[in-house]
Order: sequence, then structure tokens, then C-alpha cells
Amino acid sequence: MAKMRRKRAITKWVLFAIALIIVAVELFPIFIIISSGFKRDLDIRNTNPFSFNPNLTSYERVLGKSDFLPSIKNSLIVGLSSTAISLLVGAMASYGISRFRFKGRKVVSYSFLVSRMVPQIALAVPLFMLFDSLAMTDSYISLILAYTSFNIPYVIWLLLPFFCSISYSFEEAARVDGCNRIQIFWKIFLPLTAPGLMVAAIFAFIMSWNEFIYALVLTGNSTKTAPISVNGFLGQYAPRWGQLAAAGTIILIPVIIFTLALQKYIIGGLTAGGVKE
Amino acid sequence: MKKLLVVLFLALLCLTAFGATTIKVLAWDDAHTQAWVANLKDFEKATGIKVDLELIPSGSMLQKTSLNVTENRANYDLVAIDEGNVAKFGDLLVPYSKWPEGKTFKKISTTEIPQAIFEAALWKGEIQGIPINGNVYVWITREDLVENPQYKKEFMEKFGYELRVPETLDQLANMAEFFGTKGIYGWAPFTKNTEGATCEAIMFFEAFGTHFMQDVAGKYVITLDKEKALEAILFYRRLMQYAPPGANDMGHAERIAAFSDGKVFSMFQWPGIIPSHENEDESLVVGKIVYTAPPAGPSARAAVRGCWIFGIPKASTNVSAAAEFAYWLNSYDAGMKLAEDGMTPVRTDLLTNPVLLETKPWYEGMAESGLFAVSRPNRSVYYPEISEQIKVNWLAAVLGTVDPAIAIDNMVNQVQALLDKYGN
Amino acid sequence: MEISNRLIRRNSRKGVLSYLYFILPALIIVGVVLVFPIIYSVVLSFFNWAQVDDGRRAFIGFQNYLDLFKDRQFWHSLSLQLGFIFIAIPIQLVIGFFVAILFNRQFPAAGLLRTLLLLPVFTLPVLSGLTWRLMLQPGYGVISYLLEFFGFDASRGILSDSGLAYTAVIVQDVWRMWPFMFMILYAGLKSLPADIMEAAELDGANFFKKTFLITIPMLKQTITTAILLRTIDALRIFSEVFVMTNGGPGNATMLYSLYIHKQAFEFGKLGYASSMAVILIIVSLLFAFGLVRKNMDVDTL
Repeated sequence: MAKMRRKRAITKWVLFAIALIIVAVELFPIFIIISSGFKRDLDIRNTNPFSFNPNLTSYERVLGKSDFLPSIKNSLIVGLSSTAISLLVGAMASYGISRFRFKGRKVVSYSFLVSRMVPQIALAVPLFMLFDSLAMTDSYISLILAYTSFNIPYVIWLLLPFFCSISYSFEEAARVDGCNRIQIFWKIFLPLTAPGLMVAAIFAFIMSWNEFIYALVLTGNSTKTAPISVNGFLGQYAPRWGQLAAAGTIILIPVIIFTLALQKYIIGGLTAGGVKE
Repeated sequence: MKKLLVVLFLALLCLTAFGATTIKVLAWDDAHTQAWVANLKDFEKATGIKVDLELIPSGSMLQKTSLNVTENRANYDLVAIDEGNVAKFGDLLVPYSKWPEGKTFKKISTTEIPQAIFEAALWKGEIQGIPINGNVYVWITREDLVENPQYKKEFMEKFGYELRVPETLDQLANMAEFFGTKGIYGWAPFTKNTEGATCEAIMFFEAFGTHFMQDVAGKYVITLDKEKALEAILFYRRLMQYAPPGANDMGHAERIAAFSDGKVFSMFQWPGIIPSHENEDESLVVGKIVYTAPPAGPSARAAVRGCWIFGIPKASTNVSAAAEFAYWLNSYDAGMKLAEDGMTPVRTDLLTNPVLLETKPWYEGMAESGLFAVSRPNRSVYYPEISEQIKVNWLAAVLGTVDPAIAIDNMVNQVQALLDKYGN
Repeated sequence: MEISNRLIRRNSRKGVLSYLYFILPALIIVGVVLVFPIIYSVVLSFFNWAQVDDGRRAFIGFQNYLDLFKDRQFWHSLSLQLGFIFIAIPIQLVIGFFVAILFNRQFPAAGLLRTLLLLPVFTLPVLSGLTWRLMLQPGYGVISYLLEFFGFDASRGILSDSGLAYTAVIVQDVWRMWPFMFMILYAGLKSLPADIMEAAELDGANFFKKTFLITIPMLKQTITTAILLRTIDALRIFSEVFVMTNGGPGNATMLYSLYIHKQAFEFGKLGYASSMAVILIIVSLLFAFGLVRKNMDVDTL
């Protein structure tokens, strides 16, 4: 018995070591980003990549660039708004589809998946023309709506298994209690599918945060988002590696916080209803 | 009630008096345009015009401009356009001849900016805008290497003439060979599959005495002399032996790094990039560079021109305010300040100004190169596709993936096919 | 039982309408910002449409598609893209699967390590592409540096060699997205009924038997979902490759979306670019039907 316990203990640490190595290798490029942010461009090119003489020049340049911090603010506004709208609208639609067995049901739910198949480059131009004709370019709303175009289908598709798995008995009980459909939705379904909602929220936010093409086409000076301003560090001719790394690190921070804070929801949400049989 | 109305009326009056015109300007983002940002308040104070300056990555300029400037609508009052794209927007811009005289800042004339540079904005026989950077191939060479007495001695022994800034391509080849034995790369090409490669092709074709395409009575005709083109390509391949590693896919980033890290002896550079070679934080060769026009080929010296211009869309509602801004940044006094802040001027009197020359020796090279400026062929809406055929075949030839003679044939045939397709 | 039947019958008449209200907002928003642009693109694919009006804009029927089939670069980009899918995704799947099995066991700090593993998935694609580009620079890039250290000659520069650049693009995507596969597969593993797994262990089944005969079949739907989601996104990959190689050297990494971008924004041929987009939709649909038809069904959800 003791032998088995010891064997299990050793196994535990072996597994830990393997996992640690995997994570270390995987995160290596991220380490490169972070460390490069603390070097000048010249040093990045001429010193050993593993050397570390911290220097804040790149960070100074990045933070000194007038459009960088506002672009982060813009990304936050657009990301959070788009996520909120997509979540609400998507959850409602997912609820409707899961409960309402109409003829075109399969088609509708698959069509949401199909909508993800279109290359964004192709859609960028008509989308721009649409908003431009309404004089809505360089406004938050146009970008927020553009992002819902891929977030809503994703939310619907992600939440569908959750909603479908909630048995009718909940609804029946609620109806007997005299609730109408809206109350059933708010008070019963949403809380029950909370893990799914969290996962959907995280993915929707991250997809909005990272989105590049629509932002490039639809934003102007005042609504420029983070990916566009990072792209600006590419320079007219040559990448300014130090500044790119510094800017990239700054942008990674909310992502890291988000991921660490909500990590249990990510896996939990996917487990509870997402992708089982 | 009456008093309230009077107050309101006065307030409204005040507002309209202070209500400034705002112009929206679109340009690329780098040190040159950042210099404007720092000085916008001077312009605003002098004219009362507010400027909403939007700077975006230069790779995205074309797409943003095409989306935002049409016949009926212009979301910007002033747009920066790369020379090669003037044809695309030419019809949508106000011709320079129709630009107003200028209230606070005078209209710029060809005595201040040479006609050859103004021609960057040429479309259908008319100048459609004003150049805003004097972008012309400048040749940069390591002064410390040519002045080195030991190298001078050895070079004289080996080649029989004095080591100096190369004046001809043949000299460049000799020197590149020489420095190759010293662990220094003699020269760096531009071989990335972008517009820069087309520029290389044109420079060498012109240097070897052949024009790729010419406007003959309103139609574009390919006039490439295949033998001379072959000579040019073979020479380029000879130089490639002395190029740094990664020369097969060398773009701006790689060339800048190689030169700034002290690894390359001599090569071309765009004026907009030169400041970074003279920046202590970015370069190891500060103060060691001499600037001239490119070396001459067997037939001519050729410096490819690649200016950006400012155009005013016809659909803009602030034409005179926009013109004022363009005149301001090309004016002498503002120009002195802007040049010190990082802008590369176009005005001849600024490029030859002794005060500026002290801290910006490359202006001399620009002025010299301007005399030998050549433009890329074919001002047409289809230029990008034509450029694509030139560069793809040029690169195949110089990188050795296709036999040069065949590559030249392909180039000519494919461009001809495009000319035929688009009815020239 | 009787009550529910009555309720359901009553619901199915009034119910229809009120459920519709729930779906409506999604349909409207998506209709405007998604369906409209898609229809616009499809329609545009039948036109010769230059971005800046050159006087030649006209309806040309299937001409764009015919030109596409004659366009060598189109086939080259398509084959690069399909090669990318068929190489990168299986690799991501296999790595993700085995790491998921690893993490399915108990060991210290598993939760933290698992979370850290997700970081690459959430990084800015542009940043990922640029980081790999930096790491692959000859001389000072960390990968080139390490290769030289181990005796390989990386002086020419990996990104300037056609084959190696393509490999690098694939490696970049594998790096970024195998944790995504891991995440989905891990969730799937966690939801497998524990008793079957225990029974198998007690029966003395070794690791490989267990994995291949039990785990994988039970995870079929999860695996299919993972592959489907990943494939659909991978078919559209753009920003990472764009900033990493810009399609180069030459056209060696000119994946499908990059060629669309070139046609649309460099050459300004919107009609032609739209026809390429339509072809991609068709290819995506083929993948989707191929995967989904066999393994998934909305009604069973």
C-alpha cells in the first residue's frame, strides 16, 4: 500500500515536471515579447537575445505616442459593449431556437455557423460602405455593431447545447407558478446557463479585443483601437521591435488578467454543457 | 425675455466667430509626419484653422484613401498619396493650378520645389497636388571605410585607383569585392516582393540605358531593350554575391538593420529612413555616412523618385483651408522648424540651407539625386498590376530561379498582355 | 405527464410567436451587419468592379470565376491554404489531445499551468505574427540564435527561404492554437463518465488500449467540434501571416486571404476579390458538411 502511495507521489511530480516543461516552452515567445520590451531596438539587433539590461526607452516611446493609451480605452469600450450586446441578443436567440421547434431550425442554427466562414476582408468593404452612407464611420457604434456580426453567431452556437440541456420541467414549474416567458428567461435560464454565458463572454471579448480588419477600415482618429495602434509601430519602413514588444506587453495585461481571473469558468463552462455528447 | 434673446444672439455670434474651420487630413505615420503633429498649434494659431490629423500605417494608406475619397464624397480634405497611386485618384483631385493663392501662407511655386519633383503629382498632363516629401534614391556610403588608410593602400594595390565613394556601378562592384575580403558586405539589395523591388528594376534598367515603358502619343509602349536589360540583371547578380545573409528576401527592415549595425559598405536609401541611421539610439554608424547620388551605370545615373503628394479631393468642402495647410508645411519658416523636428523637406532652399546641412548632411545627397530623378513607368490605374509583373519577373531573374533571358521575355509579354487587356 | 402535454400543446400555438420575439433582435442585427455584406459580396462577384471607378464597372456574369480558374496564383494560394489546414490542424489536435490527457491527471499546480497554457490563444494575432518574425530574424532572432548554437546554419534567414517560411507560418499557428484544441478536448475529457474509465483500468487495459479503444471514440463529437471550429477560422487566417511574411518570399506564403487582400486593396479589383470570397465560403461549407454530417446533429443536442 505504501509502495503504491509512493509510486503515486512520484508520478504526481513527474507529471508536474512534464507539464511545467510544456508550459515553459509554450510561453517562451511570450517571454520574448516581454523581455524585448525592455530593450532598445538597437540592442535587440545587436545583443544576445538572452541578455537582459533593462532599459525603459521603448516603454517611454510607446506611452509617449499620443494615440496609444486612447486606443486601449477605445478597445475596452468597443469590446465590452459588443460583448454585452452579443451576449444578451445571442442568449435570447439561443433560447428561442432551443425551445422552438420550427421547420427551418437546423438551417437557422447552421447558418450562424456558416456566417463565420466568410473572410473578413471581403466583408470589410461593404460594411464600410454601409456605415459610410449612414455617416457612421469613426464612431463606436459602427465598430460595436460590426463586431456583433461575428460575436452573436458565436454566442448562439456556443450556448445552444446549454439551453437545450435544460429540461422542460423547469419551465413547466415556472408556468404553473404563473411566470411569463420573459421572466422564465431572466430568472431561470440565464442563471442556469451562467457557466456557458461566462465562456461566451470571454471569447466574445477576446475576439473583439484582437480584431484587426474591421477596425482598420471602420475607425478613424478618435476610435482607433489597440491592434491598429500596435500596427502603427510597424513603422513606415521597418518594425520598431522594442516599441512593438512594449506595446504588445501592455496589451497583453488585460488579457492575462481576464484569463487568470476567469479561468475556472472557461473550462467549467465548456464542461458543463458545451461539448459533451 | 428680450434680454435673454439678446444674450443668446450674442453668444451665437461669438460662437460663430470662434467657430473654426476644421480640416481632416490623412497621412502615413512615421517620423516625418510626426514632426507635423508637434507643430500643429503654430499653424492653428496663425490661421485659426483646426487640423484633425490622422496618421495610419503606410501599408494601409491606399485602402483607407480609396474607401474615403470618391467623386461625391470626401471624408478627408487633404490626403497623402504615393506617387504610384496618383493615377488612381487623379480624376478625383483638384488640379494644382486651381488651388487658391493662399491667405496666410503663399502658394508654392516651381521656384521653391523643382519641377521634376512636382511631376510626382502628374496625371493626364496636369499636376494634381503638391509633393510633401522629397523622396528620391540617395546613395549612402561608409565614410570611415573609404577614409581608412590601410584599406586605401590595399585597394590601390589591387585595383589601381583610389578607394572613394563609388561614382560608377563598376567601382561599386570592385569595392564590394574588396570589402568582402574584410568581412564587410559591400552592398545590400532590395528583394522583398513589394514596390521597392520594382524601383530597383527601374533604377538598373535606366542606369544601363533602357526605359521600360514610354508614353508614345498617348499610348504606353514597352520600349525595353532586352540586351541591356540582361546586362543590368547580370550585373545585379554580380553584386548579390557581396550582399548580407538573407539577401533573397531583403526589405526595408533588414536593410536598415544591416546598415545601422555597421555590416554594409554602400547602398541606396530613402530619405525618410536616413534619420534613423543618424540616430544614436538606433544606429552604430552615426556620423560615419556620406550621402551622394547613386553611382552611374554604363549609360546614366538614375535615382528613382518616390514622392508622396498631398491632394485635395474635389468633393472636399474646405479646399482653401486644406491648401493653407499644405502651403504651411512647405513654407520656408515653418519648414526650418519642421525639418529640425524630423520632417524631410522638399524645398530646394531648405535642402541647401547651411544651418540644416550641419545636422542633416543627407540633404546634400537628396539635392544631388534630385538632378537624376527617374520615375517608374506607367501612370495608370492599373499600375499596381503592371508593377507586379515587373517585380515578380525581375526578382525571379536576379535570384536565379528563372533564366534571366526568359524572365525578361515573361516580363515584357505579361505587361503587354495587361496593356492589351486594359485597352491602354 | 398530462399537464406537460397540455402545456406543450398550448405553448405551441402562442409559443411560436413569443419565441420568435426572442430570436428577432439577433436576426435583425445579424441581418444588417452580416447578411447584407455577404449578399453584397456575392452580388459583387458577378461584376467587374474596380474600387476607384475606371469606367469599366459592369455586370459580367461568371467571368470573374472563369478568370479565377485560369489564374495560376489563385490555385497556388488555394493549395497553400489547404496544405496549411491539412498540416497544421492535425498537429494541433494531436498535441492538444495528449496534453489534455496529461492534464486530466492530478498533480500540483495543474490549475495554474492549465490557465497559463491558454495565453497564446488570447494574444493579438498581429502580435503573434510579429513575435515569430522577430524570433526568426537571422542573427539576433532567438530561434536563429539557438539554431546556430546547435550547429545549424541559419544565416540565410528562415523567412527568406520559401519552404522554411511556409513551415514557420504553420509553426506559428500550431503554437498559437494547439492550446485551443487542448481546452476543448480537456473539457470533453472531464465530462466523460468516470465509471467507464475506472472499469477499463481495473480490467487491466494499458494506456494505448484505453486511449484508442475507449477515450477517442467517446470523444468523437468533441473532437469534431474542435476540428470544425478551428478549420473554419484557419481557412480565413490573415493578420498573423500578413505581418510575418507579407506573402513572401515571393509568393511562398501567399495564403488565400492574403491573395484576396492583394486583389481587393492593391489592385482594387473588388469584383474579383469577392468571387474569391465566395469560393472560400463554398470550400468552408464542404469542410463543414463533411465533418458535421457524420458526427453531429442539432436535434441530439
